[in-house]
Amino acid sequence: MARRRVARPNEQVESPVARRGPSLGFLLALPAHLLILVTVLVPSILVVWLSLTDWQPTQGIPWYAAPIIGLWNFSDLFNDQRFVGAVLRTIVIVVVSVLAELGLGLALALLFLDDWPWRKFAVAVIVLPMMIVPVDAANAFFMLFNERGPINQIIGLVVGHQYTFGWLADPDWALLPILLAEIWQWTPLMFLLLLTAFLSAPRNQWRAALSLGASPMRAFLRVLLPLTLPVILVAAIIRGIETFKIFDVIYILTRGGPGTATETISMFMYNGAFVYFRIGYIAAAALLVLVVVGTFCLALVRSLGRQA
Amino acid sequence: MTDSNDRVGPLGRPSLISRRAILRAGGIGTAAIAGGSSLLNWARPAGAATNLAGAGEEIARTAKELAKGRHITLRILEPSGSLGNIKPVADLWTAATGIKVSYIEVPNGEISQKVLLEAVSKAGSFDIALPAGFSIPDLAASGILVNLDKLAQKHEPAGFRQSILYSASQFYKGNFYGYNTDGDTYLTFYRKDWIEDPKFAKPYSEKFGVPLAVPDSWSELDRQLAFFHQPDKGQYGGALFRSQYFIAWEWWVRFHAKGFFPFTDDLTPQINNEAGIQALAELVAASKSLYPGARTNGLFENFEAYGKGDIYANIGWGGTQKYLDSKSSIKGKTTYGPTPGGSVNGKLLKTPYFNWGWNYVVSTLSPEQEIAYLFTLYATSPELSTIAVRDPDGYFDPFRLEHYTDPEIISLYTPEFLAIHEASMKDSTPDLYMKGQGEYFDALRVNIQAADVGEKTPKAALDQTAREWQRISRRIGRKEQTVQWLFLKSLYPEGIRAQLS
Repeated sequence: MARRRVARPNEQVESPVARRGPSLGFLLALPAHLLILVTVLVPSILVVWLSLTDWQPTQGIPWYAAPIIGLWNFSDLFNDQRFVGAVLRTIVIVVVSVLAELGLGLALALLFLDDWPWRKFAVAVIVLPMMIVPVDAANAFFMLFNERGPINQIIGLVVGHQYTFGWLADPDWALLPILLAEIWQWTPLMFLLLLTAFLSAPRNQWRAALSLGASPMRAFLRVLLPLTLPVILVAAIIRGIETFKIFDVIYILTRGGPGTATETISMFMYNGAFVYFRIGYIAAAALLVLVVVGTFCLALVRSLGRQA
Repeated sequence: MTDSNDRVGPLGRPSLISRRAILRAGGIGTAAIAGGSSLLNWARPAGAATNLAGAGEEIARTAKELAKGRHITLRILEPSGSLGNIKPVADLWTAATGIKVSYIEVPNGEISQKVLLEAVSKAGSFDIALPAGFSIPDLAASGILVNLDKLAQKHEPAGFRQSILYSASQFYKGNFYGYNTDGDTYLTFYRKDWIEDPKFAKPYSEKFGVPLAVPDSWSELDRQLAFFHQPDKGQYGGALFRSQYFIAWEWWVRFHAKGFFPFTDDLTPQINNEAGIQALAELVAASKSLYPGARTNGLFENFEAYGKGDIYANIGWGGTQKYLDSKSSIKGKTTYGPTPGGSVNGKLLKTPYFNWGWNYVVSTLSPEQEIAYLFTLYATSPELSTIAVRDPDGYFDPFRLEHYTDPEIISLYTPEFLAIHEASMKDSTPDLYMKGQGEYFDALRVNIQAADVGEKTPKAALDQTAREWQRISRRIGRKEQTVQWLFLKSLYPEGIRAQLS
């Protein structure tokens, strides 16, 4: 009768795959590697290739036959006021909306730390905006801020005469409805993430601080905030990346106008690719944006690492 | 000796620019222009309906013969809102030929992109598409559109194009790419009851010394807009478009009416000359007399706003009239005019403008190009296109002489409107049918809107646009663009072309 071999202490047990040699492991992992290669690497290489050409479908030649123009697209982009303006505007939108969402989300989350009647119902109501399709949310804000919309009607009631300010048509104010729409829709996400973080943080340190006489603000700043900072940073990174790609709201509310007053990087790229059909130029813009977003994320991740 | 064909443009309009001049203009497009000389040979004067009774049946018979023994389904990529126009015709086609038709509907602002993506993906997902006329040059250059010259020579009945009132959008570099199926000439709308109301007419004539009537010139329209604009009483001068997608079209007409082409013969933009700057300054000034919402509202919001009844004037197309006369509170209370004109050498110059309009085109990836072409021929024939235009909710507006005598179409649009529409169609100046049209016009739109909201002066806005146009032309190929521009210039109606410089 065959006896099963029992491994001795300190003896390294070989896996069945390893016993059959390294080639089997490689072969088993190969499909996954190939899939990653195809879905991630190939499009990236295509974008890099296209960014070195000025290919447009309207040239009537396939993309791979487009002549290489070197770094001209990148040079043009740095001199393209519209592109630079779009990048700066996008950064402003990201900073303002993420900070506002963070502040509001934080305040709301703190309100929901303790149990109170209708708390669960209130949570459900607060998270409702983020369930709405962004295009519908944007459409609601378009109607709200229309010259004959409710916002102007309310202001008219307050000031005592008809008020028809063109929020979406004024270059100085058009960003405001966009920011409000974005903040209204995505503060609930920040609220949910922060509430979860606060609720999962160890309570004993927080309680100890309070019982030792620390004010609630001090206990929050010195105990709860440091404990939950990694989650807050991750939430900020996620929202920052998402906001950087903002498109729906702007497309519905202003289409980047008036002039280019609300044109963000996504609108710029949409126009470039689907109105001008300048695929090569927009590929170069996409790569530059990747560098900007990558740098932003890297900075936050490093900060996160330091906190950890 | 001058060949008579050299000086005849499409629709028989004598051309100031001879074919030789176009050929001399550059090498790149020479072959295309020379190849497209058939266009000039086919040119026939518009103005008389021809007897094409039974043409549809004959075309269907040919298609049936070609499809014999095969099960064919034609796939049509159509802009949302036009199914009501296409389907009744397609149903008759299927009944006559046995060839089925399926539809792929896309948002009307995205159809050109979808067609162009087809050129890239080579998916072969449709046989026929209906892009806007202004996108034909880019689509043709991408290689996705079949050059229909040969098929038209083979199948098109004699006199087929004779009653088509506007055909400039059908050609690029002299080659034929698809029949226009929608008469989208730009028109103005006014409140007839306000014009006739002594409450308005008397003070107007006393103040300005002229009777209150449909304005002939832009300056008169601007004066009327200001006269009627009394927002404190809830009454507004106009609903003219100031949102980004639409704003450039009005400037385009104002500029042409001052007697200028957008380019010189060597493709130097002259949009930023004194006339251009003046036209933009006038447009910006007129914005003060528009209803709240003019800068943000799109097409359907515009219809709705004007239909409420508190605005004097509007600008639009046949679709605007269909809406106003069926779904608005001002049904029967409007009167119409072509786009107003300007003063050139002391004479009034009106420059009607064809600025949209769908065209039937055939995909080069279609396995049934000939049958697809026959469908487009069938659908745009006098009898069948009349059925299409009759749809009350569809986009297609009259584009053939026959449409103006059809009782159902008359009842749909009103005789008064159709008279103005027909005259405007006959004299419409073409849109900028050039490669990169989207880029040229987007630069114009963005800068005009920046001037309208006070971000830039009219001069700075147009100088910037001119610089951007120069860059676009350089990148696309100045020589090639110059050839097409000279060809396009030859498509302007003779009477108007003679007065533009």
